[in-house]
Amino acid sequence: MGEFKGSSAKGDLSVALSNDELHILINLVEQLLELLGERNFIHHYQSDDPFAQLMAASIGNLEARIEQPEDPVLNRLLPNAYADPESAAEFRKYTESSLRLVKQTHLMYLRQQLVFPVDHELPKADIAVTDPTQWLIAINDLRLALAVRLGVKNDSFEEYEGMKDADPQKPLFAVYFWLGGIQESLISHL
Amino acid sequence: MSSQTKLDEELDLSKFFDNLWVAIVWDDPVNLMNYVTYVFIKLFNFSKEKAHKLMMQVHTEGKAVVASGTREEMERAVQQLHEHGLWATLQRDDHGRV
Repeated sequence: MGEFKGSSAKGDLSVALSNDELHILINLVEQLLELLGERNFIHHYQSDDPFAQLMAASIGNLEARIEQPEDPVLNRLLPNAYADPESAAEFRKYTESSLRLVKQTHLMYLRQQLVFPVDHELPKADIAVTDPTQWLIAINDLRLALAVRLGVKNDSFEEYEGMKDADPQKPLFAVYFWLGGIQESLISHL
Repeated sequence: MSSQTKLDEELDLSKFFDNLWVAIVWDDPVNLMNYVTYVFIKLFNFSKEKAHKLMMQVHTEGKAVVASGTREEMERAVQQLHEHGLWATLQRDDHGRV
């Protein structure tokens, strides 16, 4: 399971996922969306609507409050663009919310693709992948997030293979490497 | 203003080099080699060979310069690399100085 079939060039790319796999993926996607959504409210004040702008002005400069995230996962997904902290902060002020939005958009798309078979109570999913790039980037972000939580290093696969079954981290490592397999399979079908 | 001063100003190359910035991609243990190559081709229109070579440079040397240009261009490149989950920064191109 988690294997892609067809090709994006021919427009018949699809992926078969079991119910368990769907639930794992949806759960991860939703956790990451929640984490990224932390500053979601900022977007409401970035519209051209004069009232929204007035609100933003009365509350103060929301953009100025954007600092480097404390959560290590967010720090990895929304990294500093400059080594120099001052330039990094300045760049973040103007770009971080749009970077968040791009990542949320990919994850929302993936979620939408994954919940369809669940909502329709299909025994297993054969999902037609309409936008492989969004799949690829969203899966990659999930892997990055898990990797930070698990402290993944270059030799983590050897570490995983040597883990005892009772190790509470083992199932998470299994999911992490399974996601890597999904990503490899998807890339080979692009 | 004497003509010599004017000439010196015209020959002041530092202004030119100040405009040279580079985007650097750093190695991390998560991003798959195939994925990094794919992103380089997608974002920078590199040939498969060039993308693969740069990916290997990131992997073996820990980092690689993947683009150069104005500060604004490199900020955009780094933003796109971040959108794709690659670890990237921009800086002045210190190698270009004479």
